[in-house]
Amino acid sequence: MKMKALIFLQIREDLVEENTLGILNKLIETNPSIEIHGALLRDQIKSEWVEEAGKHGVKKIHTVKASELEVYLSIPYVKSMLEIIKDIEPNLVIAAGTVYGEDLIPRLAVQHGVSCAERITDITFDSGEIIFHSPVRDDQVMKATKIVGPIKFATTRTGAFFVNENPSGSSPEVTEVSVTFDEDDMVVKHIEIKKAERTVNLKDAKVIVAGGRGVGGKENFQIIKEIAKLLDGEIGATRACTDVHWIEETYEIGQTGQSVSPDLYIGAGISGAPQHMSGIKAKTLIAINTDEGAPIFNYADYGIVGDMHLILPILKKKLEG
Amino acid sequence: MKIVVFISQIVNPQVKLQGVDYFDSSRVNEDDLIINPYGKNAIEGALKLKEILGADVTAVCSKGLKPNKALREAIAMGCDNAIEVADETFYTEDPLILAKIYTNILEKIEEFDLVLLGVEEQSTSSYATAAMLAEKLNLPSVLYAEEIEIQGDKLRVGHVLEGGRKIVEMPMKGIISCSDSQFFIPRYTTMKGILNAKRAEIPIWNAADIGVSASVVGEEAASLKQISLSNIVIEKESFIIKEGEPEEQVDKLLAKLKEDGVKLGV
Ligand SMILES: Cc1cc2nc3c(=O)[nH]c(=O)nc-3n(C[C@H](O)[C@H](O)[C@H](O)COP(=O)(O)OP(=O)(O)OC[C@H]3O[C@@H](n4cnc5c(N)ncnc54)[C@H](O)[C@@H]3O)c2cc1C
Repeated sequence: MKMKALIFLQIREDLVEENTLGILNKLIETNPSIEIHGALLRDQIKSEWVEEAGKHGVKKIHTVKASELEVYLSIPYVKSMLEIIKDIEPNLVIAAGTVYGEDLIPRLAVQHGVSCAERITDITFDSGEIIFHSPVRDDQVMKATKIVGPIKFATTRTGAFFVNENPSGSSPEVTEVSVTFDEDDMVVKHIEIKKAERTVNLKDAKVIVAGGRGVGGKENFQIIKEIAKLLDGEIGATRACTDVHWIEETYEIGQTGQSVSPDLYIGAGISGAPQHMSGIKAKTLIAINTDEGAPIFNYADYGIVGDMHLILPILKKKLEG
Repeated sequence: MKIVVFISQIVNPQVKLQGVDYFDSSRVNEDDLIINPYGKNAIEGALKLKEILGADVTAVCSKGLKPNKALREAIAMGCDNAIEVADETFYTEDPLILAKIYTNILEKIEEFDLVLLGVEEQSTSSYATAAMLAEKLNLPSVLYAEEIEIQGDKLRVGHVLEGGRKIVEMPMKGIISCSDSQFFIPRYTTMKGILNAKRAEIPIWNAADIGVSASVVGEEAASLKQISLSNIVIEKESFIIKEGEPEEQVDKLLAKLKEDGVKLGV
C-alpha cells in the first residue's frame, strides 16, 4: 500500500524552515514511494514557498489562507490542520520539532484519540509499519516506538535531518482549503515577537569559545572573550546566558539561536542540552564541566572535568605562551 | 486564584545506572528519585504568581513510585497543598495517558484556574503532555514559557521562539509549560516550609478515586507502544581528563591536542 504523509510546512523568516526540508529528504530517502502532502497555513501564501516545497519532494500542497493565521497560534492552526487531515486521510502527520511543531502535533494527535512520537531522530518503515526512533537519557539510549491507530503523529528533533542540496522535485499541485474562525479561536492573543538581534554572524567562525550557565555572571564572560580572542575566534553562549543578558543575544547558539560549524568549539559550563547541541556541527569539540555526567561529554572529543574558573585562566596563560 | 502544578519524578541522572539500566525499574530505589527539574521550574512559576496574586498552589504528582517525598519538597518550597495520585495500573510512559490522568485529576479538583507543568521530562525529553492536556480540556495554553506577567485579568507570557521570544496574552484559566529561564529558577526550601511539609497531610488518590481504570490508563490502553530500548553506541573516541590538579589537566589536554594534530586557533 502506498503511504501518504502530511507535513506541516513551517515558514521561518520568509523561507520554508530548514528542519522541515530535512524531514522531506529523510522521508524520500527511506521510503521512495511515499506520497508527500504539505500543509501551508498563512495570511499570504507565497509561490516561492510552494515551489521550494515541491522541489524538495512535496507532491500536493493544501493551503489555508486567513488573516488569523498570520502568526502561529495553537487553536486556529489546529483547526486548519484538522480540515486538511480530514480531506486527505494521511497515514503519517509530521512536523519539525520547532516550538510551533511541538505545540501542534500533540494537539492533532489528541483530536484523533492517539498519542505521538516525540523528537525522533530516525524513522523506519517495516512491512507497512512506521517505527519511530527517539534518543532518551541524555542520548545514551534509543527508544523505538510505534503508534496504534490509523494516523501516526510525530515530531522530529531539530538538527536531526539534513537538507538535500540537489533537490529535483517539480511544481506541486495546490488546493485551497477554506476554514473560518470565530472569536473563541482567538482567545490567546499575539502581542509581539521580539526578534533577537543578530549583529555577529557565527556561521563562518572557525573557532568558537562558548560559555553556559556555569560561567556564573556577566563579568566572568571576560575570560571567555579573552580566550576567543587569543584563538582568533568568536564567542558563543547558551540561551541560559543570553536570557539573563550576561552576553548579547546575538551569541546564542542552538535551535533558537545561531547554527555554527566551526573546526573547534570549546564549551565551558554548558550542560549539553539537545536544544543547544543541535546548532553545533564542530570538527573538534572540547568540553569543560564540573559534572562528569554532563551530557556535553557525550559530544566531546576532548574534555576536562573541572571548574572552569580554575581551568580557563590557566589555559589562557598557556596559550599566551 | 487556584493554581495546580503537575510535577513528576525521574531517576536522578547522577545515579550510576548507565544506558538502558537507567530505565530498569528493578534497579532503581526510592532514594534515587528526584523531582523532574523542569517541574521545579513550574513550582517556582506558581510561587511567583502566588506572591503577586495571593494564589493557592496545589502540587500534584502522579508519576514515579511513592511521590510523597517529592510532594513534601514542593510544600517546603512554598506550595500550599499537595495531592499524591498513585496507582499500579498507571502507564505514564505515554504522554497521552499522562494527559488523561491529569484531566481526571483536574475534574476531581474541580476548581482551578491556572495549570503549570515543566516543559519536558528531563530523562525522556517528553514534552507533549502539556499540549495534550490543553487540547483535552479545551483550554488556552502556552508552551515553553520564559516569563509570566499579570496584565489586569490576563496573563502576558513570553515564550521561547526560534530567533527570539514571542509574547502572547491569555486568560488566567489555562495551561502553561515552564522552561528553566531565569524567571523560573527554583527557590530553595525554607525552614518554615520544611516545618509545613512535615505537618502537611497529603491525600492519596488512586485510579478509582479519579474515575479511571486500567482500560484507559494502563499499558494496554496506550496507543504509543514501546518496541525496544537499546544503548546508543558512541563510536567516536573521546579523551576526557577526570582527575588531577587544574594545571596538570590543562597540560595533559594541550599535550594530547598537539599529539593528535588539533590546532588551537586559526
Ligand atoms: C524550545 C526550546 C528551545 C531552546 N533553544 C535553545 C538554544 O537554541 N540554545 C540554547 O543554548 N538553549 C536553548 N534552550 C535551553 C536549553 O534547553 C537549556 O536550558 C540550556 O541550553 C541550558 O544552558 P546551560 O548548559 O548553560 O545551563 P545548565 O543546563 O544549567 O548547565 C550548566 C552547566 O554548567 C556546569 N557548571 C556549573 N558550574 C561550573 C563551573 N564552575 N565550571 C564548569 N562547569 C560548571 C554544570 O555542571 C552544568 O552542566 C531551549 C529551550 C527550549 C525549551
